[in-house]
Amino acid sequence: MSAEAALWLTFILIGLATTLPRASFIVLGGRVRLPSVVQRALRYAPAAALAAIVAPDVLVVGGDFMPLNPKLAGVVAAVAAALLWRNPWLPFIAGMAVLLGLRALLGG
Amino acid sequence: MPVSPFRAGAREGFFAFLPLSVGLIPWAMVTGMAMISTGLTPTQAMGMNLIVFAGTAQLGTLPLIGAGAPLWLIVVTALALNLRFIIFSAAIAQGFRGVGTPLRWYCGHLLTDGVFACCLEKLLKVDDRRWRLGYYLAPSIWSWALWQVFALIGVFAAGSIPKHWSLEFMASIALLVLLVPLAKQRPMLVAALTSGATAVLLRGVPLRLGLIVAIVVGIMAGFAAEHWSKRGETA
Repeated sequence: MSAEAALWLTFILIGLATTLPRASFIVLGGRVRLPSVVQRALRYAPAAALAAIVAPDVLVVGGDFMPLNPKLAGVVAAVAAALLWRNPWLPFIAGMAVLLGLRALLGG
Repeated sequence: MPVSPFRAGAREGFFAFLPLSVGLIPWAMVTGMAMISTGLTPTQAMGMNLIVFAGTAQLGTLPLIGAGAPLWLIVVTALALNLRFIIFSAAIAQGFRGVGTPLRWYCGHLLTDGVFACCLEKLLKVDDRRWRLGYYLAPSIWSWALWQVFALIGVFAAGSIPKHWSLEFMASIALLVLLVPLAKQRPMLVAALTSGATAVLLRGVPLRLGLIVAIVVGIMAGFAAEHWSKRGETA
Protein backbone atom coordinates (compact mmCIF):
# COMPACT_ATOMS: atom_id res chain seq x y z
CA MET A 1 0.00 0.00 0.00
CA SER A 2 1.39 3.42 -0.91
CA ALA A 3 2.00 6.02 1.77
CA GLU A 4 -0.81 8.11 0.29
CA ALA A 5 -3.32 5.23 0.48
CA ALA A 6 -2.20 4.41 4.02
CA LEU A 7 -2.83 8.01 5.05
CA TRP A 8 -6.37 8.01 3.65
CA LEU A 9 -7.04 4.67 5.33
CA THR A 10 -5.86 6.29 8.58
CA PHE A 11 -8.32 9.17 8.09
CA ILE A 12 -11.20 6.77 7.41
CA LEU A 13 -10.43 4.72 10.52
CA ILE A 14 -10.11 7.84 12.71
CA GLY A 15 -13.44 8.94 11.18
CA LEU A 16 -15.03 5.62 12.17
CA ALA A 17 -13.49 5.91 15.65
CA THR A 18 -15.32 9.24 15.87
CA THR A 19 -18.68 8.62 14.22
CA LEU A 20 -19.31 5.22 15.86
CA PRO A 21 -19.07 6.54 19.46
CA ARG A 22 -21.10 9.62 18.49
CA ALA A 23 -23.85 7.69 16.75
CA SER A 24 -23.81 4.69 19.12
CA PHE A 25 -26.75 5.34 21.40
CA ILE A 26 -28.46 7.82 19.10
CA VAL A 27 -28.85 4.96 16.59
CA LEU A 28 -29.52 2.24 19.17
CA GLY A 29 -32.14 4.38 20.88
CA GLY A 30 -33.45 3.19 24.22
CA ARG A 31 -32.74 -0.48 23.49
CA VAL A 32 -29.34 -0.68 25.21
CA ARG A 33 -28.04 0.92 28.38
CA LEU A 34 -24.47 1.38 29.53
CA PRO A 35 -23.58 0.15 33.06
CA SER A 36 -23.07 3.19 35.29
CA VAL A 37 -19.59 2.04 36.39
CA VAL A 38 -18.48 2.01 32.75
CA GLN A 39 -20.04 5.43 32.15
CA ARG A 40 -18.21 6.88 35.13
CA ALA A 41 -14.86 5.37 34.10
CA LEU A 42 -15.24 6.55 30.51
CA ARG A 43 -15.57 10.15 31.68
CA TYR A 44 -11.86 10.15 32.51
CA ALA A 45 -10.68 8.91 29.12
CA PRO A 46 -10.54 12.28 27.32
CA ALA A 47 -8.64 14.08 30.10
CA ALA A 48 -6.22 11.15 30.40
CA ALA A 49 -5.67 10.96 26.64
CA LEU A 50 -5.17 14.73 26.24
CA ALA A 51 -2.61 14.84 29.06
CA ALA A 52 -0.78 11.75 27.77
CA ILE A 53 -0.38 13.36 24.34
CA VAL A 54 0.62 16.84 25.52
CA ALA A 55 2.91 16.08 28.49
CA PRO A 56 5.79 14.45 26.56
CA ASP A 57 5.55 17.15 23.86
CA VAL A 58 6.05 19.87 26.43
CA LEU A 59 8.31 18.29 29.07
CA VAL A 60 10.68 16.19 26.95
CA VAL A 61 13.39 17.83 24.84
CA GLY A 62 15.39 15.53 22.57
CA GLY A 63 14.46 12.44 24.61
CA ASP A 64 15.38 13.91 28.00
CA PHE A 65 13.04 15.10 30.75
CA MET A 66 13.63 18.87 30.72
CA PRO A 67 10.78 20.68 32.41
CA LEU A 68 12.39 24.14 32.18
CA ASN A 69 12.08 24.96 28.51
CA PRO A 70 10.36 27.68 26.45
CA LYS A 71 7.49 25.34 25.53
CA LEU A 72 6.53 24.84 29.16
CA ALA A 73 6.56 28.61 29.71
CA GLY A 74 4.30 28.97 26.67
CA VAL A 75 1.97 26.32 28.04
CA VAL A 76 1.80 28.04 31.44
CA ALA A 77 0.89 31.30 29.73
CA ALA A 78 -1.76 29.60 27.59
CA VAL A 79 -3.34 27.78 30.53
CA ALA A 80 -3.36 30.99 32.60
CA ALA A 81 -5.07 32.82 29.74
CA ALA A 82 -7.64 30.04 29.44
CA LEU A 83 -8.34 30.12 33.18
CA LEU A 84 -8.55 33.90 33.51
CA TRP A 85 -10.37 35.03 30.36
CA ARG A 86 -13.12 33.66 28.18
CA ASN A 87 -11.70 35.00 24.91
CA PRO A 88 -11.02 31.85 22.83
CA TRP A 89 -8.09 33.41 20.94
CA LEU A 90 -6.11 34.53 23.97
CA PRO A 91 -4.50 31.21 24.99
CA PHE A 92 -3.05 30.83 21.49
CA ILE A 93 -1.77 34.41 21.38
CA ALA A 94 -0.28 34.22 24.90
CA GLY A 95 1.28 30.78 24.40
CA MET A 96 2.82 31.55 21.03
CA ALA A 97 4.06 34.98 22.18
CA VAL A 98 5.83 33.49 25.21
CA LEU A 99 7.35 30.61 23.21
CA LEU A 100 8.61 32.78 20.36
CA GLY A 101 9.67 35.60 22.71
CA LEU A 102 11.72 33.28 24.92
CA ARG A 103 13.31 31.59 21.92
CA ALA A 104 14.29 34.97 20.51
CA LEU A 105 15.75 36.01 23.89
CA LEU A 106 17.64 32.75 24.39
CA GLY A 107 18.76 32.71 20.78
CA GLY A 108 17.37 29.17 20.31
CA MET B 1 -48.90 31.06 6.87
CA PRO B 2 -47.88 29.23 10.05
CA VAL B 3 -44.19 28.36 10.39
CA SER B 4 -43.48 24.62 10.18
CA PRO B 5 -42.34 23.02 13.45
CA PHE B 6 -39.04 22.04 11.84
CA ARG B 7 -38.28 25.63 10.85
CA ALA B 8 -39.39 26.99 14.22
CA GLY B 9 -37.10 24.50 15.98
CA ALA B 10 -34.25 25.24 13.57
CA ARG B 11 -34.51 28.97 14.18
CA GLU B 12 -34.54 28.57 17.96
CA GLY B 13 -31.63 26.09 17.96
CA PHE B 14 -29.56 28.23 15.63
CA PHE B 15 -29.91 31.39 17.71
CA ALA B 16 -29.33 29.54 20.99
CA PHE B 17 -26.04 28.20 19.65
CA LEU B 18 -24.87 31.19 17.59
CA PRO B 19 -22.91 33.00 20.34
CA LEU B 20 -21.20 29.77 21.43
CA SER B 21 -20.25 28.91 17.89
CA VAL B 22 -17.72 31.78 17.75
CA GLY B 23 -15.49 29.58 19.92
CA LEU B 24 -15.20 27.09 17.05
CA ILE B 25 -13.38 29.55 14.81
CA PRO B 26 -9.93 29.50 16.46
CA TRP B 27 -10.18 25.70 16.85
CA ALA B 28 -10.91 25.17 13.22
CA MET B 29 -8.12 27.52 12.14
CA VAL B 30 -5.60 25.95 14.50
CA THR B 31 -6.59 22.48 13.34
CA GLY B 32 -6.15 23.57 9.72
CA MET B 33 -2.70 24.97 10.49
CA ALA B 34 -1.70 21.92 12.56
CA MET B 35 -2.58 19.56 9.72
CA ILE B 36 -0.30 21.49 7.37
CA SER B 37 2.57 21.76 9.87
CA THR B 38 2.33 17.96 10.35
CA GLY B 39 3.15 17.65 6.67
CA LEU B 40 -0.25 17.01 5.06
CA THR B 41 -0.99 18.58 1.69
CA PRO B 42 -4.01 20.94 1.56
CA THR B 43 -6.05 18.17 -0.16
CA GLN B 44 -5.12 15.60 2.49
CA ALA B 45 -5.82 18.12 5.24
CA MET B 46 -9.29 18.96 3.98
CA GLY B 47 -9.94 15.27 3.32
CA MET B 48 -9.15 14.53 6.95
CA ASN B 49 -11.29 17.47 8.03
CA LEU B 50 -14.30 16.23 6.04
CA ILE B 51 -13.93 12.57 7.01
CA VAL B 52 -13.18 13.02 10.70
CA PHE B 53 -14.94 16.29 11.67
CA ALA B 54 -13.61 16.26 15.26
CA GLY B 55 -11.04 18.79 16.48
CA THR B 56 -9.86 16.80 19.47
CA ALA B 57 -9.40 13.56 17.54
CA GLN B 58 -7.68 15.40 14.68
CA LEU B 59 -5.33 17.43 16.89
CA GLY B 60 -4.65 14.42 19.12
CA THR B 61 -3.76 12.02 16.33
CA LEU B 62 -1.70 14.45 14.23
CA PRO B 63 1.48 14.11 16.36
CA LEU B 64 1.15 10.31 16.03
CA ILE B 65 0.61 10.51 12.27
CA GLY B 66 3.60 12.85 12.01
CA ALA B 67 5.79 10.47 14.04
CA GLY B 68 4.79 7.49 11.88
CA ALA B 69 3.11 5.63 14.75
CA PRO B 70 1.42 2.31 13.89
CA LEU B 71 -2.13 2.54 12.59
CA TRP B 72 -3.76 0.63 15.43
CA LEU B 73 -2.21 2.97 17.99
CA ILE B 74 -3.55 6.00 16.12
CA VAL B 75 -7.03 4.47 16.03
CA VAL B 76 -6.99 3.46 19.71
CA THR B 77 -5.90 7.00 20.64
CA ALA B 78 -8.72 8.48 18.55
CA LEU B 79 -11.16 6.14 20.28
CA ALA B 80 -9.90 7.17 23.72
CA LEU B 81 -10.34 10.83 22.81
CA ASN B 82 -13.87 10.11 21.54
CA LEU B 83 -15.12 7.87 24.35
CA ARG B 84 -16.90 10.84 25.88
CA PHE B 85 -19.24 10.82 22.89
CA ILE B 86 -20.62 7.41 23.93
CA ILE B 87 -21.81 9.08 27.12
CA PHE B 88 -23.15 12.14 25.25
CA SER B 89 -24.84 9.84 22.75
CA ALA B 90 -26.50 7.86 25.54
CA ALA B 91 -27.65 11.06 27.24
CA ILE B 92 -29.10 12.68 24.12
CA ALA B 93 -30.57 9.53 22.50
CA GLN B 94 -34.10 10.22 23.78
CA GLY B 95 -34.07 13.50 21.86
CA PHE B 96 -34.27 11.50 18.63
CA ARG B 97 -37.36 9.45 19.49
CA GLY B 98 -39.51 9.03 16.41
CA VAL B 99 -36.62 9.80 14.02
CA GLY B 100 -35.68 7.21 11.35
CA THR B 101 -32.42 5.25 11.43
CA PRO B 102 -30.58 6.87 8.45
CA LEU B 103 -31.26 10.32 9.87
CA ARG B 104 -30.06 9.12 13.29
CA TRP B 105 -26.72 8.11 11.74
CA TYR B 106 -26.40 11.56 10.21
CA CYS B 107 -27.31 13.27 13.48
CA GLY B 108 -24.81 11.03 15.28
CA HIS B 109 -22.05 11.95 12.84
CA LEU B 110 -22.72 15.64 13.54
CA LEU B 111 -22.72 15.35 17.36
CA THR B 112 -20.28 17.84 18.92
CA ASP B 113 -19.53 18.92 22.48
CA GLY B 114 -20.95 22.40 21.90
CA VAL B 115 -24.29 21.39 20.39
CA PHE B 116 -24.68 18.64 22.97
CA ALA B 117 -24.20 21.05 25.86
CA CYS B 118 -26.40 23.72 24.30
CA CYS B 119 -29.33 21.64 23.05
CA LEU B 120 -29.64 18.65 25.39
CA GLU B 121 -32.23 20.07 27.77
CA LYS B 122 -34.85 21.14 25.22
CA LEU B 123 -34.31 18.08 23.04
CA LEU B 124 -35.36 15.86 25.92
CA LYS B 125 -38.34 18.06 26.89
CA VAL B 126 -40.09 18.98 23.64
CA ASP B 127 -42.62 16.52 22.21
CA ASP B 128 -42.78 17.46 18.53
CA ARG B 129 -40.34 15.26 16.62
CA ARG B 130 -39.97 17.74 13.74
CA TRP B 131 -39.27 20.64 16.09
CA ARG B 132 -36.56 18.63 17.87
CA LEU B 133 -34.95 17.63 14.59
CA GLY B 134 -34.77 21.24 13.43
CA TYR B 135 -33.51 22.35 16.83
CA TYR B 136 -30.65 19.83 16.65
CA LEU B 137 -29.80 19.99 12.96
CA ALA B 138 -29.61 23.77 12.48
CA PRO B 139 -26.82 24.39 15.03
CA SER B 140 -25.12 21.11 14.07
CA ILE B 141 -24.95 21.91 10.36
CA TRP B 142 -23.87 25.46 11.21
CA SER B 143 -21.02 24.02 13.33
CA TRP B 144 -20.05 21.73 10.48
CA ALA B 145 -19.97 24.58 7.96
CA LEU B 146 -17.96 26.86 10.28
CA TRP B 147 -15.55 24.03 10.96
CA GLN B 148 -14.89 23.33 7.29
CA VAL B 149 -14.60 26.97 6.23
CA PHE B 150 -12.25 28.07 9.00
CA ALA B 151 -10.14 24.92 8.78
CA LEU B 152 -9.68 25.73 5.10
CA ILE B 153 -8.63 29.27 6.01
CA GLY B 154 -6.15 27.77 8.51
CA VAL B 155 -4.81 25.41 5.84
CA PHE B 156 -4.04 28.28 3.50
CA ALA B 157 -2.81 30.61 6.25
CA ALA B 158 -0.31 27.96 7.44
CA GLY B 159 1.37 27.85 4.02
CA SER B 160 2.30 31.52 4.20
CA ILE B 161 3.74 31.38 7.74
CA PRO B 162 7.49 30.69 8.18
CA LYS B 163 8.48 27.29 9.63
CA HIS B 164 10.48 28.70 12.56
CA TRP B 165 7.26 30.12 14.04
CA SER B 166 6.61 26.60 15.39
CA LEU B 167 2.92 26.58 14.49
CA GLU B 168 2.69 22.95 15.62
CA PHE B 169 2.85 24.34 19.15
CA MET B 170 -0.65 25.72 18.54
CA ALA B 171 -1.88 22.11 18.52
CA SER B 172 -0.37 21.52 21.99
CA ILE B 173 -2.03 24.70 23.24
CA ALA B 174 -5.34 23.62 21.71
CA LEU B 175 -5.23 20.25 23.49
CA LEU B 176 -4.40 21.95 26.79
CA VAL B 177 -7.21 24.46 26.43
CA LEU B 178 -9.58 21.52 25.99
CA LEU B 179 -8.10 19.98 29.13
CA VAL B 180 -8.44 23.08 31.34
CA PRO B 181 -12.25 23.03 31.88
CA LEU B 182 -12.17 19.25 32.44
CA ALA B 183 -9.40 19.48 35.00
CA LYS B 184 -11.40 21.85 37.20
CA GLN B 185 -12.91 18.73 38.77
CA ARG B 186 -10.47 17.16 41.21
CA PRO B 187 -10.65 13.50 40.04
CA MET B 188 -10.32 14.67 36.43
CA LEU B 189 -7.16 16.60 37.40
CA VAL B 190 -5.80 13.48 39.09
CA ALA B 191 -6.50 11.46 35.92
CA ALA B 192 -4.72 14.05 33.75
CA LEU B 193 -1.67 14.46 36.02
CA THR B 194 -1.21 10.70 36.46
CA SER B 195 -1.62 10.05 32.77
CA GLY B 196 0.74 12.88 31.78
CA ALA B 197 3.43 11.75 34.24
CA THR B 198 3.11 8.14 33.08
CA ALA B 199 3.43 9.17 29.44
CA VAL B 200 6.63 11.11 30.23
CA LEU B 201 8.08 8.20 32.24
CA LEU B 202 7.27 5.66 29.52
CA ARG B 203 8.36 7.85 26.60
CA GLY B 204 11.14 5.39 25.67
CA VAL B 205 8.75 2.45 25.20
CA PRO B 206 8.65 1.41 21.53
CA LEU B 207 5.64 2.09 19.25
CA ARG B 208 4.53 4.81 21.69
CA LEU B 209 2.84 2.05 23.67
CA GLY B 210 3.48 4.20 26.74
CA LEU B 211 0.64 6.41 25.52
CA ILE B 212 -1.95 3.65 25.84
CA VAL B 213 -0.61 2.56 29.24
CA ALA B 214 -0.70 6.21 30.36
CA ILE B 215 -4.34 6.62 29.29
CA VAL B 216 -5.40 3.44 31.10
CA VAL B 217 -3.46 4.38 34.26
CA GLY B 218 -4.97 7.88 34.10
CA ILE B 219 -8.53 6.53 33.86
CA MET B 220 -7.91 4.23 36.84
CA ALA B 221 -6.38 7.06 38.87
CA GLY B 222 -9.34 9.36 38.16
CA PHE B 223 -11.79 6.63 39.05
CA ALA B 224 -9.93 5.87 42.28
CA ALA B 225 -9.77 9.57 43.19
CA GLU B 226 -13.53 9.89 42.67
CA HIS B 227 -14.12 6.84 44.83
CA TRP B 228 -11.92 8.12 47.68
CA SER B 229 -13.35 11.63 47.61
CA LYS B 230 -16.86 10.16 47.87
CA ARG B 231 -15.83 7.97 50.80
CA GLY B 232 -14.35 11.06 52.44
CA GLU B 233 -17.70 12.84 52.13
CA THR B 234 -19.73 10.05 53.72
CA ALA B 235 -17.21 9.34 56.53
